[in-house]
Amino acid sequence: MKAFELARPVTLDQALQELEKDSAKRDRTKLFAGGQDLVTELKEHLVEPDKLVDLKRIPGLDRIEVQPDGSLVIGCLVTLATLAEHAETKNFFTALAEAARSVGSAQIRSQGTVGGNLNQRPRCWYYRHELAPCLKKGGSECYAYAGLNKYNAILGGGPSYIVHPSDLAPALVAFDAEVTLRGAKGERKLALEEFYTLPAEADVTRETVLAPDEILTHVRVPAKPGWSSTYVKFKERGSYDFALASVAVAVRAAGSPRTIQDARLVLGGVAPKPWNVPKAAEALLGIDGVKTWTAAGNRAVAGAEPLAHNAYKVPLVKGLILQAMEALAKR
Amino acid sequence: MSALDPRAQDAAQPDTKPGKKKILVPRVENGHETMVEIEVDDAEGSGRPQWGPRDALRLVNHELVRVDAVDKVTGCARYTHDVRLPGMLYARFLGCPIAHAEVTVDVAAAKKVPGVVEARVVRDGEVKFLGQPVAVVAAKTREALEDGLRAIVLGIKPLPFAVTREQSLAANAPEVNRRGNASKPNEEGDPAAVAKAFEGCAAVIEATYEVPIQHHACLETHGAVVDVPTNDSATVYHSTQATYASANEFKGPLKVKEVEVVNEHMGGGFGSKFEAGVEGRVASELARDLKAPIHLMLSRRDEFLCAGNRSGCVQTVKLGGDVQGKLVAMQSSIDRLGGLGGGSHAGLPYIYEVATSVRTMRSVYTHLDANRAMRAPGHPQASFGMESALDELAYALGVDLVEIRKRNVGDVHRRQLDRVAREIGWNEHPHKSKPDLSDATTKVGIGFGLSVWGGGGHPECRVTVEISPDGGVRASVGSQDLGTGVRTYVTAIVAEELGLSMSGVTARIGRTSYGPANASGGSMTSASLAPAVKHAAFNARKAFAESLAKTLKSDASEIVFDVQGVYDARSKRRLAWKDACATLGPAGISATGEWQAHLASNGIHGVQSAKVRVDTRTGKLEVLKMVCMQDCGLVLNRTGARSQIFGGMVQALSYALFEQRVVEPDLGIAMNANFEDYKLAASLEIPEMVAILDDEDTRGVIGVAEATVVPGHSAIANAVHNACGVRLRSLPLNPDKLLLGLAGLKKG
Amino acid sequence: MGDPKRSGVDLSRRGFLKSAGGLAAGGALGESTLAVANSGLLGDGVERLSGEVEIELTLNGAKRKVKVEPRTTLLSALRERVEPSLSGTKEVCDMGSCGACTVHVDQKPAYACLLLAVDCVGKSITTIEGLAKGDELHPVQKAFCEHDALMCGFCTPGFVMALSACLDVEPEATLDELKEACAGNVCRCGTYPHIFEAAVAAQRAKQGAKR
Repeated sequence: MKAFELARPVTLDQALQELEKDSAKRDRTKLFAGGQDLVTELKEHLVEPDKLVDLKRIPGLDRIEVQPDGSLVIGCLVTLATLAEHAETKNFFTALAEAARSVGSAQIRSQGTVGGNLNQRPRCWYYRHELAPCLKKGGSECYAYAGLNKYNAILGGGPSYIVHPSDLAPALVAFDAEVTLRGAKGERKLALEEFYTLPAEADVTRETVLAPDEILTHVRVPAKPGWSSTYVKFKERGSYDFALASVAVAVRAAGSPRTIQDARLVLGGVAPKPWNVPKAAEALLGIDGVKTWTAAGNRAVAGAEPLAHNAYKVPLVKGLILQAMEALAKR
Repeated sequence: MSALDPRAQDAAQPDTKPGKKKILVPRVENGHETMVEIEVDDAEGSGRPQWGPRDALRLVNHELVRVDAVDKVTGCARYTHDVRLPGMLYARFLGCPIAHAEVTVDVAAAKKVPGVVEARVVRDGEVKFLGQPVAVVAAKTREALEDGLRAIVLGIKPLPFAVTREQSLAANAPEVNRRGNASKPNEEGDPAAVAKAFEGCAAVIEATYEVPIQHHACLETHGAVVDVPTNDSATVYHSTQATYASANEFKGPLKVKEVEVVNEHMGGGFGSKFEAGVEGRVASELARDLKAPIHLMLSRRDEFLCAGNRSGCVQTVKLGGDVQGKLVAMQSSIDRLGGLGGGSHAGLPYIYEVATSVRTMRSVYTHLDANRAMRAPGHPQASFGMESALDELAYALGVDLVEIRKRNVGDVHRRQLDRVAREIGWNEHPHKSKPDLSDATTKVGIGFGLSVWGGGGHPECRVTVEISPDGGVRASVGSQDLGTGVRTYVTAIVAEELGLSMSGVTARIGRTSYGPANASGGSMTSASLAPAVKHAAFNARKAFAESLAKTLKSDASEIVFDVQGVYDARSKRRLAWKDACATLGPAGISATGEWQAHLASNGIHGVQSAKVRVDTRTGKLEVLKMVCMQDCGLVLNRTGARSQIFGGMVQALSYALFEQRVVEPDLGIAMNANFEDYKLAASLEIPEMVAILDDEDTRGVIGVAEATVVPGHSAIANAVHNACGVRLRSLPLNPDKLLLGLAGLKKG
Repeated sequence: MGDPKRSGVDLSRRGFLKSAGGLAAGGALGESTLAVANSGLLGDGVERLSGEVEIELTLNGAKRKVKVEPRTTLLSALRERVEPSLSGTKEVCDMGSCGACTVHVDQKPAYACLLLAVDCVGKSITTIEGLAKGDELHPVQKAFCEHDALMCGFCTPGFVMALSACLDVEPEATLDELKEACAGNVCRCGTYPHIFEAAVAAQRAKQGAKR
């Protein structure tokens, strides 16, 4: 790590004062919470900020509030461990608790935060290699495209082929979550799905629309009475790994035979952002069973353009959707 | 003490074995004193130490608690990494980031960094492998050290490189080795005879099997802490498998006559830590020149790139057998991939008997660091080629997987195969001679693999056992403990001989001055050290008996050492241990011991089996159970032996599922020189594991470590095929390969 | 960072072998990092730390003053800054991938290599050296000894801390939960079967102690 100054504001306004306004200089100052991703980036010299702005002394950001209507408001400093064990989250937003529990290890979850998880940087080994000046680091080439791309995107890729590593993001998108971004000029709220960008659509060096002088302060998860959900994550190494692919599914089902009335289906680990596939979710509607699950699987990977070494992700996603739906049907 | 049974006088019985005598000694059992007959070494009769009958052993061959366990669970055990000396500087290397280059190194700016004491060029000019150290920095703090390393300016002129076999063998390949990128193939066997033998086979299979380069991945990286040399001597803390021998390597760079290497505990070696290496040399030079202790341990990245590896290989095998599964003909060609090194491979047909065979073998060189010995060098590679090919042939012939193995190996393996087959559930397994090709979404399969190893001893250790007048007993040897529990079995052997409990003996290891000891390689430590310890303890006991005989006016042959102290059969007197020791003069007893060929043996056998489950929808591979049956002569510590067997199985499992060095073929940079991307099996990958010690083996001590790592990955790969019909011919067995294999089966 | 202009090596696939020149492995240093000891609240009420600062850590129940930089990790502070060194906590990957540096921060398991020491002020840090109560080993430590749940021992402190963190909060933990609790730790010697035996034994010992 290069030496840096640590600034410890106690209010959000103070924190915002510390941030760079100029996009070109944004990496000179980094927001610091649990540090579970940032410290690794500092150690690898992927970023060399002059200043870290510690958010942990700002009160009120480390709480999960259950609103009267059943919706959740989750502060950015809530740890993954807290979220994974939170009773309402487990009961009513199961996929979210499962996603939180699937992150890293107990040690990571005790320190890592919701804000950090949503804003973490890619794991692509070219990005993480200091000497490969890839697109994500301001270079001119995505090395994965013609290289060792087993872990890279099959959907939404180009010109960069990273996959977004967050586990919470697919689950939250499946719940139509919305994020609050606080800037000097005030706050804006947007759907989490809109928070993430594709490399072709926006600044290829970023994964989100977060401005350099903004802070993601809260995530709001609207109540979904009568819905059930699950998050299925497939790791190369079960013990401790990022997803090769994951599926967040939320459904509203009733009756006998069980009939799906509404559904959300979001993929993780296969695209540069959480890959929401409403058409696949639509295929789940109707009488629940392998037929609709298979149809959803086919639709979920429609348009997939595998690279040389990641075609396996296509059958993998289909298999995970079957597993996820089977698990939900048994609940 | 109550009146003693007169039978106690009747020392020697007529039906004793040679070198043994039976005597009666008093024992307190359930609070009552009785006389029991025991068989003891007849020191005068044989004049040499014996392990004695196994059922008479009290500590050795039992389940022992490690004597240094408390130190390890409380963080008190001091490893080389943990050594802190006054005024010590932290040093680290900067490695070349690409595989082949012309390098200039400018350390001027690094020297100016506050806190940096020295920055030096380690190598410039042509750098021949990825990660080769080119510069070193020594600094007062870790932060200054890092700033110093970052301030070094490398001028790099990239040179054409070869980091894969294909690149090395290409027509326009850059020169890796002056004598050619591939060594001259070594051919064994008669090709014409083999070609003829294939004609008579009931089935012949031919395939190519590949294993990648694996890393030792010692948790404690290589390195040393070198204290400032005084006039003629120096102390070096070194994480090494050769505590005694490595002292010589430091003398030159330190310019001293005497070096004391200290290695109380070490965090793994697995064959990679025999030499002081560039890290030892540079640390010595810095300590000498800067007159400050130097802590130079490799970074994790360095450890992955310049501390050795298990070579990979590509092996093409053609194998034929008769209808019963007897192996008739085999032809193989093997390319070893050991970077700049020659690589290792145990040869084919490995442990199986094949009537006629021919093989060619060569090394293919690349711009990567040279392979080093790694736990059973060459055997896991050979196992994968042989066991996979044998399995394929078994399915082609329709012969049971256990039967085909039994038909081509010796008695010990046959016996072990039956036992392991029973334990894994082979007899009840529903599809023995063909995979499950049903529509089921999860499928279970079983596979097998066999191993051999030497594990015998050498006459290198010199052990000292001292008994002091205060009752203390100390055993010293300049050996080291890689995690096998050396202190524990040294303690047990001495305590056994002297009739003491484990707590009555202190074992000292890990210092050059404790005496000559062999380097820990080839699973030879136990078979080399244990006999010498036994000998030293035997000599100490003899000397003690002689001394006591004088004091008690008895005869040394009448003095018995047992758990209740010392007993003189002649005078029927019993002395507590401490009281007996008090009769010794101030010098106490000091006895030495050397290797005893008759206490060690050589050559071990193992059979392993794996049961796996494959999810055909996701390619998820779960190992459900692994079984190992292993002989190793006299077991010194049953718990420790089981730990080692588990360890071998876990490493093979990890090799099967995840491990491989990944180097970018176009860029020549390391992609996974860290523990995130170089994945090791961890808690959730570990199946039910069964370790069966083969107690039918009545031989002397033999090392067990290496054999246990040989066949596990082969058994797992074979089990995958048995489960679902996908034959994976290259490691690791990643889900991507499995999914594509399953898709291929569907297409037919 | 990997600035292509600064690196001098053209690592593009096309141009890789063509280029030559100077590669700054690090690059120019910024302003001196050790010169100023600077800590405290400035006029804007925002505390700022830079250079070398003295902090007080609560380590195994005792307050210890230690000089660190903001970038000093808790792991480095324990091993290289605290006197005498608390070197039971091991440095293995230094990247949050192996668990060897696991400590308890306010009773929760954490990788000391991913925490900044300055961030641990005011928190209760327990390291492997502080887990036993005097001479009485923690049940996990005791069980590790009895079940030979260690070989070289380098991963052992991390496993003991990960499992004890779980059992101290969840004395009812099942074997699966215990495996999950140490899934962020690696053991190269492969002692896992004995680690699991020890974990279960420790769980039973804790249950027994509760009754």
